[in-house]
Amino acid sequence: MMQVQITGTMLLQLVVSGLLAGGLYALVALGLSLVFGVMRVINLAHGALLMLGAYTTYWLFALFGLNPFLSLLVSVPMLFVVGAILQKLFVHRVVEAPELSSLLLTFGISIFIANVAMLAWSSDYRSVEFLTGSFILGQIAFSKPRLISFSVALGLTGLALLFLHRTKIGKAIRATSQHRDVAQICGINVRRIDMITFGLGAGLAGAGGSLVSIMFAVYPEMGLIYVFKSFLVVVLGGAGNYPGAFFGGLLLGLVEGLASLFLTAQLSEVIAYIFLVIVLLVRPAGLLGGRT
Amino acid sequence: MRRAFVLGLAGMWISLLVLYLAVGPTWGQEPIKIGASISLTGTYAKPGKYTQEGYLFCEKEINDKGGLLGRKVRFIIYDDKSDPLTAIKLYEKLITGDKVEQVMGPYSSPVTNAASTASEKYKKVMMASLASTTSIWERGFKYLFMTISPAEVYLEGLVELAAERGLKTIAVINEDTLFAKAAAKGTIELAKKKGMQVVFHEAYPKGTTDFSALLIKIKSLNPDVIAAGSYFDDAVATTRQMKELDVNPRMYGVTVGGDLPEFYQIQGKTAEYVYGSSQWEKTLPYPGIKEFVAAYEKMWNHEPSYHSAAGYGACQLLAEAIKRANSLDSEKIREQLLKLKIPTVFGDYQVDERGFQIAHKMVLLQWLDGKKVTVWPLHLAEGKPLYPTPPWKQR
Amino acid sequence: MMAGILWLLLAVMGGLAVLPLFASGYIISFTIQIFMWIALAGSWNLISGFTGYVSFGHVAFFGIGSYTGALLVTKAGWHWLPASLAGCVPAAALALLIGYPCLRLKGPYFAIAMLGLNEVVRALVSYFESFTGGGSGISLPPILSIAPVYYAMGGVAIAVTLLTYRIITSRFGLRLLSIREDEIAAETMGINTSLMKLYAFLLSALFPGIVGGLYAWYSSYIEPLSVFPLLTTITMIIMCLFGGKGTVLGPVLGAVLLSVFQELVWARFIFVHQAIFGALIVGVVLLMPRGIMGVLQERYRLPRAV
Repeated sequence: MMQVQITGTMLLQLVVSGLLAGGLYALVALGLSLVFGVMRVINLAHGALLMLGAYTTYWLFALFGLNPFLSLLVSVPMLFVVGAILQKLFVHRVVEAPELSSLLLTFGISIFIANVAMLAWSSDYRSVEFLTGSFILGQIAFSKPRLISFSVALGLTGLALLFLHRTKIGKAIRATSQHRDVAQICGINVRRIDMITFGLGAGLAGAGGSLVSIMFAVYPEMGLIYVFKSFLVVVLGGAGNYPGAFFGGLLLGLVEGLASLFLTAQLSEVIAYIFLVIVLLVRPAGLLGGRT
Repeated sequence: MRRAFVLGLAGMWISLLVLYLAVGPTWGQEPIKIGASISLTGTYAKPGKYTQEGYLFCEKEINDKGGLLGRKVRFIIYDDKSDPLTAIKLYEKLITGDKVEQVMGPYSSPVTNAASTASEKYKKVMMASLASTTSIWERGFKYLFMTISPAEVYLEGLVELAAERGLKTIAVINEDTLFAKAAAKGTIELAKKKGMQVVFHEAYPKGTTDFSALLIKIKSLNPDVIAAGSYFDDAVATTRQMKELDVNPRMYGVTVGGDLPEFYQIQGKTAEYVYGSSQWEKTLPYPGIKEFVAAYEKMWNHEPSYHSAAGYGACQLLAEAIKRANSLDSEKIREQLLKLKIPTVFGDYQVDERGFQIAHKMVLLQWLDGKKVTVWPLHLAEGKPLYPTPPWKQR
Repeated sequence: MMAGILWLLLAVMGGLAVLPLFASGYIISFTIQIFMWIALAGSWNLISGFTGYVSFGHVAFFGIGSYTGALLVTKAGWHWLPASLAGCVPAAALALLIGYPCLRLKGPYFAIAMLGLNEVVRALVSYFESFTGGGSGISLPPILSIAPVYYAMGGVAIAVTLLTYRIITSRFGLRLLSIREDEIAAETMGINTSLMKLYAFLLSALFPGIVGGLYAWYSSYIEPLSVFPLLTTITMIIMCLFGGKGTVLGPVLGAVLLSVFQELVWARFIFVHQAIFGALIVGVVLLMPRGIMGVLQERYRLPRAV
C-alpha cells in the first residue's frame, strides 16, 4: 500500500465536504435538541420521522416529478402534523418523566413506524436522482446536492432560530425549555408548547430526510444512524442550546472528515463515540454550554 | 331428538367416507419432506423471498414432472427473521419435529454458518444455496454443499480484464462486514497474482454515507482500477461521490448492487461504465435458462433474480443427487453430490472434498447505454466492455 | 404463602431439569433462549431496577463476554464452559472502568453515556481486527449437543434470580432502593451511594458477560453488529419492565411471557411482528410501567422479596 501524502488542496477539499455534510447534521440535530430541551424527552423516533420525510420527497418525485427542494413545502408541514399527533397521543404522557419511559416509548414508536414503512414501501433501496456533480472553484469541488442541501439546511436552521428568538411562540418555547414551572406560572400553556415543539422537531427531521433523499439511499431503517449522530451533536453543542446544535453539527461533520482523512474511516467512528462519552463525562453541559 | 342424533351420526360417517375416498388413495404415499428456513422478514427479507420463490418453483416443477423416487416433494419453509439463532432453532424443529428428509440452506452466510451446525449434527445434507463465505467450508463439515461462487472471486472478471489491458495499480475499499471483506481480500490476492500493485486498501463501517475522505485519498494516488466490496446503498453513494469529486479510474467495479436494475434506475447516466458482478443473469447461455425464466415469470409474475435461480439450481442439484443415489440416505446423497459435475440453469456445479464450489463462474457486467452487458468470461459474454471509462468531465 | 411458592418453584425447576431428556430440539433451543433473556433482564434489573440508573447500553457486557468466550475457544483452545465463565472478567473490568465516572451523571446523561459506551466498545472490537476478526466476525467450532448449553444457561438464569433475591432481602438491597427513591436523601442518611451504585453495576455486568460467552458457543458465529445491537438492550429492558422491575420474579415472568408471546406472534403474523413488538413496547410503557409483579404486589400485598 502506498502512503497517502495529504496536500493542502486535499485538506481544503475535505474541510469543504465535511462542513457541507455537517450542515445536514445540524438541521437534524436541532429537532432533537428542541424536543429534549423543552420536554426532557429523548426522542429515539427522530430517525423514523426523518425517514418519513425522505419517503415523502421520494414519492412526490417519483410519481409527480416534483422538484425535491420544493417538496420540502410538503414534507415539513406534513411531518409537523405527524409529530404533533404523536405528541398528543403518546409522548405527552412521558414528558418530564424518567428518561427510561421516553427512551422506550419513542423506540417503540420508531420500530412501529419503520415496520409499517417496510410493509407499505418494501425495503428496496430508493433515491432521488436530481442533482449530481459539483461546482468547481479552482481545485475544490463543491458537490451540487450537498451545497444546495447545506444552504437549505442553513436557511431552515436560521429560520428556526429566528422563530425561537423573535416570535412569541418561539420565546414561549425557550421559556419552557429554561424553566418549565416558571413558564407555566407566567401563563404559558406548556401542553400546547409541547405539541408545537414536537411538531417542529419532527418537521426539522422531515426536512433533513428530504434533503438526505437526494444524496443517499432511502430505506425504512435509514433513520437510525442519524439518531446516533444527532445525539453526538446535541451532546457536543449542549442540550437545549439551539445555536449550539448548529455549530455542533458543523463540528461533527468536520471532525468525522478529518479523522477519516488522517486516519481511517473505521477509526473515525471509534473516535466519534469515544468523544461522546468523554464529553458527557467531562462537560455534560456540552462543549458550547447548555442546560444540564 | 333421537332421530336428529342418528341423522347426525350417519352424516358424519358419510362425510368421513367421502373424505377418505377423495383423499385416501394419496395417504399411502407420504411426500418427501424437504426443510428450510428463509429470511422472510428482517434485513434479508427481499433476497430471502426470491430464494423461497426459487425453492417453491422447483418443488412445483418436480411434482409436475412426476415427483422424486415416485413420491411427491413437499417443502416446509419457516421464517428465520434473518437471525442465525432463530435459524438454528428452526432447523432443529425441521429435522427433529417435522422429520424432514434433507434440508436446503437459508439465505446469507451468517445464517447458513449457524444453521449448518444443526444439520451437520443430525447428519442431514444441507444444500447451501446462498452462502458465499469460504470460512464456512473450512470447518470440516461433511454434509454441507455450496452452490454459488465464493465472495473472493466476485471481482475476478474486473482483475482479469484490467490485467489484459496492462493496468498496473488498483485501489480497494470495502464495507467492514464478512462478505465484503472476503470479496476485497480475494480481489487483492487475484490482483497481486496478476502483478498489479495494490496502492490503497481501506474498510469503512457499515452505514457510512460520506466517502469524501476515502475518495480524496484515492484520487491523490490516481489508481488505474478502483474495486469496491460493497452493498447497494454504499455503491450508489460511492459512485455519486466519485462524480462529485471527479475521481477518474480507468475501470471501476462493485460487488453487490451493481447488478441490480435499481442501480441504473436511481442514478441514470452516473451509473454508465460501472462494472458490476453477478452470480447469474437471465441472458446467460446456460441450459434450459429460457424455459426457466418464462415458467418462473408465469408462476410469480416477475423476473427471477439470481437468488431465485440459485435456490432453484440448488434444489435441482439435490434432486439429481437423490435420483442418482436412488435413496434418501444422507451418505449416499453426499457421495453423489461430491462426484456431481453438471450444469444447471444456474450455471456449472462442482465441489471439492469440502463441499466448496469450484466450478461456478461469476460474470462481470458493465452498464452500457442503460443496459447490463455481460462482458466476462469470454464464453458467457454477450458484448465487449467499453474501455477505458471516460473521465466525468467528458461525459 | 411463601412455602407454597417455594414448592411451586421447586416443581418447575425439577421439570426444567429433565426437559432435555424428552423434549424436541426445538423446545430445548427455545428454552435456552428464555434462560438467556431471564439472565439478561435479571441483570439489567440489578442496576436499573434497583437504583433507577438506566443502563441503556447493557448489551455491551453481553458483547464483550461473547468476544471473550469466542476468542478463548478459538485462539487459546479453552473448553467452552470456562471460556464462557471467563466472559464475566472483561465485563466486570469494563463496568468498573466506566461505572466509576459514569455513575456520577444524572439520569438522561447516564443513559446516553451508556448508549455511547456500547457503540464505543463495538467500534473498538471492529477496529482491532487482527485480534477480533473485525467485521468478519469469529467462527466457532460447531457444537454437537445442546443439552450442556441448556444446563449452563439455566444455571446462569437461576444464579441471577437467586442473587436478586439475596439482594432484595439484604440491607444492601435496601440501600439500593433508597438510592432509587431519593439519592440525595440516601446520601444524607450516610449511605455511600457511589460505592453502592458501583457495586450493583459490577454485579449487573457479570452475568451478561457469561451469557454472551455461552451465546457465542451456541450460535457458533459472532460479529460486532450481532452482539452489540440496541434492540437486545431494549428487549431485556422491556422484559424486565413488563414483569416488574425491582422484583425477583419480575424479570423471570417478563422473559418467559414475552418470549412466548413473540414466538406466537411471529408464527402467526410474520410480516408485522416488528410493528407488534413496537406497539407492545408503547403499551408497556404507557399502561403498565410497574409491570405484572408491581401490580400483583400492590393488589395482594405480596412480600417485597418476590
